[in-house]
Amino acid sequence: MRPAGRAESDSLYFDYPYFPFVRPPELDGETPRHRVAIVGAGPVGVTAALELARHGIDCVVLDDKATVNDGSRAICLSRHSLEILQQLGVDRRFVAKGLGWTRGRTYFRDREIYRFEMPHSDQERFLPMVNLQQQYIEQFLIERAMESERVTLRWQSAVSGVTQDADGVTLTVSTPEGDYALACDYLLAADGARSVVRKALGLALHGEAYEGRYVIADVRLKSDFPTERRAFFHSAALPEATILVHKQPDDIWRIDYQLGPDEDPEAAVREEAIRDRVGLIIREVMQERGDWELEWWSLYKAHTLALDDYRHGRVLFIGDSAHLVPIFGVRGLNNGLADAVNAGWKLAWVLQGRASARLLDSYTPERRGATLDVFANAGKSTRFMTPPSRGYRLMRDAALALALDNDYASPFADPRQVTPYTYAESPLTLADRDAFAAGPRPGAPLINRRLGDDDFLLDYLGTGFSLLLFGEASPELAAALGDHPELRVLHLGVEDSALGRALPGDAALFAAYGAEPGSAYLVRPDRHLVARWKRPTAADLNDALNTVLGDARP
Amino acid sequence: MTTSTLPFNDLERVYELLAEALDDLPEAQETPFLAQLALALAHRIPDLSEVEAAIREARRASEDAGK
Ligand SMILES: Cc1cc2nc3c(=O)[nH]c(=O)nc-3n(C[C@H](O)[C@H](O)[C@H](O)COP(=O)(O)OP(=O)(O)OC[C@H]3O[C@@H](n4cnc5c(N)ncnc54)[C@H](O)[C@@H]3O)c2cc1C
Repeated sequence: MRPAGRAESDSLYFDYPYFPFVRPPELDGETPRHRVAIVGAGPVGVTAALELARHGIDCVVLDDKATVNDGSRAICLSRHSLEILQQLGVDRRFVAKGLGWTRGRTYFRDREIYRFEMPHSDQERFLPMVNLQQQYIEQFLIERAMESERVTLRWQSAVSGVTQDADGVTLTVSTPEGDYALACDYLLAADGARSVVRKALGLALHGEAYEGRYVIADVRLKSDFPTERRAFFHSAALPEATILVHKQPDDIWRIDYQLGPDEDPEAAVREEAIRDRVGLIIREVMQERGDWELEWWSLYKAHTLALDDYRHGRVLFIGDSAHLVPIFGVRGLNNGLADAVNAGWKLAWVLQGRASARLLDSYTPERRGATLDVFANAGKSTRFMTPPSRGYRLMRDAALALALDNDYASPFADPRQVTPYTYAESPLTLADRDAFAAGPRPGAPLINRRLGDDDFLLDYLGTGFSLLLFGEASPELAAALGDHPELRVLHLGVEDSALGRALPGDAALFAAYGAEPGSAYLVRPDRHLVARWKRPTAADLNDALNTVLGDARP
Repeated sequence: MTTSTLPFNDLERVYELLAEALDDLPEAQETPFLAQLALALAHRIPDLSEVEAAIREARRASEDAGK
C-alpha cells in the first residue's frame, strides 16, 4: 500500500518499467510447440528462465502484469543466492546496487544484549547477505532475460486454465487481444502464493499459520547507521511489539513491527496508524532525529505451508506457488531461487536427452526437503519473534533477560538466518566411502576459495558437471576422463594439466577440502556435490554419473 | 566452577518444554511451579556455589529487566 494520492507504481526512488503486450503467433492461428512454459515473471520464474537458457533450452514466460511487483517485499539475498546469480551472469548489478552486510544486533528493553556476526572470510567472493529491494531484483533479472534469445517474455498474459496429458501441458492464456491455447512439453508454475496452476490441478498447500501478524513498512530516511539487522524486544516505546530494522539502497529503511493479538489488522494498516507507529519507532526506538517519508507498507502473516509434492506429471512448482514460509531468516525468496535452478537444470538435461526422465523425481525430495528444514528452523524463530502463548512469551523474555549478562543465553537471540540446504538424502547423492576431515559433504554446495585477486574457485564452474581434481590423478582416472568430454575438470594445485583447467591450489585449499593428492569432488550444475573420493577409480566416476543421469546417457 | 553445562540444543529443548508446561497451568500456578522447579533442579546440582551463582544470575536479570 502507498500513501493517499500515490498510485501503486508511484515510488519515491524506483521508476517502474512498462512492459507492453506483444501479440503472440498463437493469436494468429499458429500453434507452435514450446518446450518449457513458465507461469509468473516474478523473481523465481525469471531465474528459472535464465537457468534454462544457460543450458540451451528455449522457454516462454507468461505474466499477467505489465511491470514488476508493487513493493520492496523480500530484500535480503543470501550468499548462496548471489552465487546462483553469478552462474546466471547477473551478479555484478546486484553487488553494485545492493548493500552487503555481515552483522546484527539484538536489543532488549532498549539495551543491546547480543551481536551476531555471520560466517565470512576473505575466501568468499560475496558477503553473507546483500540487501536489495525486490523491484530491483526483478528488474535486473528481467533485463537479463530480455537480452537472451532463448527467453520470450509475454506480459499482460494471464493463465486461466491448465490441463496435461502424458505428452504435454496446455494452457489457456487471456490477453488484451483475446484468449489462446499454448502447448508445451513441461510447465514451471512460478505464479506465486495464490497460484492459479495449483488450483487448476486441484492441489492445496498444507501446514499451519502461526499467530503473529507483522506490518512491513518502507521509509526514506537519511542515516549513517551501518547496514545491519537490528531486532528490538520490549522497547519502552512499543513494549508489546517485536521490531526489525533493515537498511536498503536509496536511503530506504525497512521497519517490520508486530501487531498485538487483539489488534484489528485493518485499522493497523490505515495510513494514519502506520504514520503514528512508524514515526514513534524512528524517533524512540531507532533514535533518529531526521525527517522521513513514507514509501510503502503491507501486512504479513507468518505461514508454514507447502505442497505435498512439488511435481505433478509435467508440471513443477517453484517458489511461493509451492511453499509459504515465515519471513524471519529471509528464506522465502532465497529458497525460491534455489527451486528455480534445481528444476531448471534437471529439466534441461532431460529435454536434451542427456539424462533419463527419472532425474525429475529428485526435484521434490530435494526442494521439499529444503522447505521442511526451513519449517523446523522458522518455527523456532517465529515462536521467539512472535510468542504464540503465555508460556512461550514468559520463556522468551526470560532468555532475553538472562542474555543481557550471560553468554550462554545469547544464542536464543540468534536470528537463524538461511543456510543452503544439504541434499544428503537425495537419490542423486552418494554417501562418503572415504573419510574426509573437512570440506563440503555430499549433497552440500561447494565452498568458495580465493585463488587470487578478484579470482575465486567458483568462477571456474561451467554449465554442466564439474570435477575438482586435487593434484596428480591416478593414470587410470586420467585415462577415463577422456570418456567424459562433457565434464569440466578443474585441476587444482598443478602448473599445467592435460586433463582440464589448471588452477592454483595451496596447502590451505587442499586442507579446506580435506583433500590429498588424487582426491576428487564431483559437482552438479547447481554447485551441489554428488560425491567425493580420496582415490577415485574410473568406475567410481562412472557410477556416480549414472546415479544422477540414469541410463539415457549417450 | 564445574565446566560441564547443558549443550545449547538441549537448553533450547528445555525452553520449549517449559513453555508448554507453563501453558498447561492456570496462570496463578506459574510462580509456585517455577519455584518448585528451581528446587527440584537445585537438588540435582551437587555444588551449592553453582546454585548460588544461578540465583544471582536470575536475580540480576530480573533487576535489569525491571529498570
Ligand atoms: C506483501 C508481501 C511482502 C513480502 N515481504 C517479504 C519480506 O519482507 N521478506 C521476504 O523474504 N519475503 C517477503 N515476501 C515474499 C517474497 O516476496 C516471495 O517469497 C517472492 O516474491 C516469491 O517469488 P515468486 O517468483 O515465487 O512469486 P511472486 O513474486 O509472487 O511472483 C509471481 C508472479 O506470477 C504472476 N502471476 C500470478 N498469477 C498469474 C497468472 N494466473 N497468470 C500469469 N501470471 C501470474 C504474478 O503477477 C507475479 O509476477 C513478501 C510477499 C508479499 C506478497
